[in-house]
Amino acid sequence: MVIEKVLPPFWTWFVQAALVWVALIVVVCVFGLLLASFVLTVERGFKRAAVSIGRAIVEAFTDLIGAISFRRISGLVFLAIKESIRRRVLAVFALFILLLLFAGWYIDPASTNPSVLYLNFVLSSTGYLIILLALFLSCYSLPNDIRNRTIQTVVTKPVRISEIVFGRVAGFALVGTVLLLLMCGVSYLFVISGLSHTHTLSSENLSAMTDPQGIVEGYTGFTSTVHGHKHRVYVDPDGKARVEMRHGHVHRLEVSGIPPDAKYSLGPAEEALLARVVVYGDLQFRDRDGVDTKEGLNVGDEWTYRGYIQGGSPAAFIWTFAGITPRRFPDGLPLELNLGVFRTHKGNIEKGVLGSIAVRNPRTGLTVETEIFESKEFALNQGVSTNQFFIPRLITKASSVQIIQRKRIGPQGVELDPPSETLDHQLAKKQEFDLFEDLTDNGKLEIWIRCLEPGQYFGAAKPDLYLRARDGYFALNLLKGFLGIWLQMTIVLAYGVMLSTFLSAPVALIATLGVMIGGLFRDFMTQLAFGQTWGGGPFESFYRLITQENVMTQLEPGLGTTLLKMADVGARGFLYAAANVLPPLGEFGWSNFVAYGFDIPGEVVLIRLLQTVAIVLPVCVAGYFFLKAREVAE
Amino acid sequence: MSTSVLPGTSAETKLETTRDVVVETRNLTKVYRDFWGRQKVRALKALDLSIFRGEIFGLLGPNGSGKTTTMKLLLGLLFPTEGEALVFGKPATDVSKNERIGYLPEETYLYRFLTGEETLDFYGRLFNIPAAVRRQRSAELLELVGLTAARKRQLREYSKGMARRLGLAQALINDPDLILLDEPTTGLDPIGTRAMKDLILQLRDRGKTIIMCSHLLADVQDVCDRVGILYQGELKELGRVDSLLKIRDVTEIRVAGLPPVALEEIKGVVERHNGQVQFIGNPTTTLEELFLNIVAESEAHPGRRVRGGVSDGH
Ligand SMILES: Nc1ncnc2c1ncn2[C@@H]1O[C@H](COP(=O)(O)OP(=O)(O)O)[C@@H](O)[C@H]1O
Ligand SMILES: [Mg+2]
Repeated sequence: MVIEKVLPPFWTWFVQAALVWVALIVVVCVFGLLLASFVLTVERGFKRAAVSIGRAIVEAFTDLIGAISFRRISGLVFLAIKESIRRRVLAVFALFILLLLFAGWYIDPASTNPSVLYLNFVLSSTGYLIILLALFLSCYSLPNDIRNRTIQTVVTKPVRISEIVFGRVAGFALVGTVLLLLMCGVSYLFVISGLSHTHTLSSENLSAMTDPQGIVEGYTGFTSTVHGHKHRVYVDPDGKARVEMRHGHVHRLEVSGIPPDAKYSLGPAEEALLARVVVYGDLQFRDRDGVDTKEGLNVGDEWTYRGYIQGGSPAAFIWTFAGITPRRFPDGLPLELNLGVFRTHKGNIEKGVLGSIAVRNPRTGLTVETEIFESKEFALNQGVSTNQFFIPRLITKASSVQIIQRKRIGPQGVELDPPSETLDHQLAKKQEFDLFEDLTDNGKLEIWIRCLEPGQYFGAAKPDLYLRARDGYFALNLLKGFLGIWLQMTIVLAYGVMLSTFLSAPVALIATLGVMIGGLFRDFMTQLAFGQTWGGGPFESFYRLITQENVMTQLEPGLGTTLLKMADVGARGFLYAAANVLPPLGEFGWSNFVAYGFDIPGEVVLIRLLQTVAIVLPVCVAGYFFLKAREVAE
Repeated sequence: MSTSVLPGTSAETKLETTRDVVVETRNLTKVYRDFWGRQKVRALKALDLSIFRGEIFGLLGPNGSGKTTTMKLLLGLLFPTEGEALVFGKPATDVSKNERIGYLPEETYLYRFLTGEETLDFYGRLFNIPAAVRRQRSAELLELVGLTAARKRQLREYSKGMARRLGLAQALINDPDLILLDEPTTGLDPIGTRAMKDLILQLRDRGKTIIMCSHLLADVQDVCDRVGILYQGELKELGRVDSLLKIRDVTEIRVAGLPPVALEEIKGVVERHNGQVQFIGNPTTTLEELFLNIVAESEAHPGRRVRGGVSDGH
C-alpha cells in the first residue's frame, strides 16, 4: 500500500490543529455576530437588535451548557430511532446482504490478491450505503417535522433547541452504529468464507531433490490447484515442511509418517488477512556529491510526491528510525520498501534496476550493506507485494562495510558527521555485526537505499520504507476500518441536520453533498489560498482575464492594483477559512489500510476521532443558532 | 371570581389568587411576512390582554381572526412583530416557562409512527419526568381520555377523534398550571365534546388556568368565565360571559305570582317614563347574537372597540 499522506506526531498535530480550530471558531463567531447585528438592526433598529443579541448569547450558554438534560436528549434519541425504523433503515442492511451475494459471484477468489478485493468491496459498499443513509435521514428529518408541524408539539415542551439538534444527530448515529456493527460482522464472515480454502498433497506430487553426490536432501512438488493457484512445498527427509506463499497466503503442512510416503494434510489459508503494525522513519536525501539535502531530484513530473536519487553515485535515501530496541525486534528488522523507478535508458527491461540496502550507525558512521536487490518496479501495481527485506540481528554476510560521514552544508561550510577526528576505522574490520550493539545508537539507526545503476533513478517518499514491528489482530483492524466509516457518517449527519435547520430537505441534501465534495478539494483550496499562483489570486486573475493581460506582466502600480491585491488577500483568507470548514472526509476512509493488511495506528484513530469531535460540535452549535432564530411555526 | 378557588381557602387569599396575572400581552402584534420580508397578513393587531390564575378564558372569533396566532405568540412558537407577551412573568420565548404549560394544538401534531403509550412517554421525557412517574401518569391519562385499549397501537391507525384525545392527554402529561387549548372540541363526537367541557371545568376547579379558543360559541358559552372576541386580528369585546350577555339598555323583570292587574300597573309605570314594553318573558340574548352583532358592526364601522386589559366583570 502507498500511504500518500503521513500525519505528524500527535502533539505536533494537536497544538497546530487546536490553534487553527480556535482561530476559525473565533472568526466564524465574529462573522456570525456581525451578520446577525446587521440584519437585526435593519429589521428592528439598533437598540432592540442589541437587546436581542445580548439575550441570545446568554440563552445560548444555558441552552448549550447549563440546561442540557440527559433525559430529554434520550427522548429525542428515541424519537430519531423510531423515525429511522419507520423509514425502513433496515432495508439498507437487506440491500447490503444482497450486494454481498452478488459480489460473492463476481469477486474472483483466483485473483492474485483476493483479500484486497474482498476487503475493498465490503468497506466501500458499506461506506457508500451508510453515507447515503446518513444523508437522507439527517436532511429529511427536521424539514419533515417542521412541515408536518409535529415540531410545534415538541418545542412547546421545555426542550432546548440544542437538545433537538444533538438528539437528532445522536439518535441517527446510534442507528448507524447498530447497522455498522451488523455490517461489520457480516463482512467479516463474508471475507473469511470467501478466502477460505485448502489444498491437498499426496506423495505422488513430490519429487526428490538431490545434491551433486546424489544424496536426497528433501522433496518438492506442488499442491492441488484450488482458487486458481497451487503452492510449492518443500519437505525435509525428517518431516519438516515449508509451503511457499502464493496469492498472499500460506498453509500449514502437517506430515505424518516418513517422507515421501507419508500422509500430508494442509491447513486453512493463513496470513491472508493481516494487520501489520508498521514503524515509519524520517526520510532525508543525499545528493550525488554525497551532501545531505532536504529533497530529492525531480524527474519532471511535478505532481509526484516522491523525490529521486541518481544511480551509480553516492546519492541515497536515508531513513532514520528511533526506538529500535532488542525487545521490540528480537530477531532483527523486517522491512518493506516501495520504490519508484525512473529509467533514462532502457537497460535490461526484463530485469529490475539494482539497488542496495545498508544499515548505518548515526554516531560512529559504521555502514553495513546487507543486500543487493533488484527493484520490483511498483510491484504493488502488478498486484503482488512490495520489496521485502530482513536484516538479521547478527549480520554475517555483509556485501560491503564502510565508515561513512554525512556531509551537511552549514554556516562554516561543509560539516562532517561524525567529525573526522572521532572516526574509529577499526569498527569496519569486523566480520560480524550485531544490529543493536554495532549499528544502533540509543535506539536510533539509519537505513540507506541506493541505486547502483548509473543513469537510472530511484524515487521514494517518507512512507515508502517501513519496519514491520508486529502483527495486530485482523478482526480488530476491520473494526477500526468500520470506525472510520462511522466517523464519516457522524460528520455527514451533523452537517445534514445543521443545514436542514434552515433549508428545505432536498436543498439541504444537495448542500450536504456539496460540503462533502468540497471536502475532497480541501487541500487544493488551501494550496490556492497559500500557494504561489501566477497572475495573482481570484480578483487579479479575473482582472487579467477581462483586460486580456498576460499573466506574467507586472500590473501598473496604482490604487487600482493595490485594491486588487488587497481583495485577493481577503479572498485567499476566505478560501483558507472555507477549506478548513469543509470536512476532509476522504482522509477518514481507512479501507486501504485494512485491505492491504496494515494495522491502523492508534494515533491516527485518535487524531481522526478528535477531528470528528472538533467538526461535529461546532456544526451542531451552528445548527442550534439557525434553528433558534427560526420561527418553527411559520 | 368564585370558581377558581380550592375548597378551604379563605376569602382573602381567594381575592389575592384571583388577581394573579398568568398571561399578559402588551400591544402584541403579528404581521406575517413572506420570504422577502414583504407584508402578507396583519394577523394580530395591538392586543392588550391579562389572564388571571384560575380562570377559563375563551378566545372567540371566526376563522382567520388570529386566535391561533395569539396562542402561538403566547407559546413562543412565533416571534411578535411588535409588543410583547409575558407568561408567568417571563417573555413568551423563554423555554423554561414551558415546564408549567400544556398545549393542545389546533390539529393533532403528533408522530404517527409512535404508539399512544410511546407518545406520552416521549413527551414525558421532554419534561424530564422520571420513568416511574411517567409510566404512572401516562396510564392515568390514557384512562382519562379513554384510550387505554388503544395504547399499543400506532397513531397512524387512530381516528381523528382518538388522536385528538391523545393530544389532550399529551398536553396534561406535566400536570400543567396553564393549559392552552386550540379549538379543543373539533373532531370530537357530541359525547366527547361534553366530556372535554367537563374536563375543562374540572381542571379549572383544580386551580388550573385555561385559555381556549374556538369558533364554536356554544363551547365558549358553556365553560368560559371570560371571553375575548377577536375579529380580523382586533379584540372587539372582552369581559365576563354573563356581563357581556347582559343587554344594558334592556331591563328584564322576572317576578313570580304577579296578578294581571299588577302587570297592567307596571306597563303604566313604564309608559309614564317613556319606556316601551317589548316583551315580558324569559331572557333571550345568546352569545351567538352578540357575536353576529359585533361582526355586523365591525363591517359597518371598521373602528376598534377594544377595552383595555382588565375585564369589566370584576
Ligand atoms: N404562517 C402563516 N403565514 C401567513 N399567514 C398566516 C399564517 N398563519 C396564519 N396566517 C394568517 O393569519 C390570519 C390569522 O390566522 P389564525 O391565527 O390561524 O386564525 P384563527 O386561528 O383565528 O382561525 C389568517 O388570515 C391567516 O391566513
Ligand atoms: Mg385557529
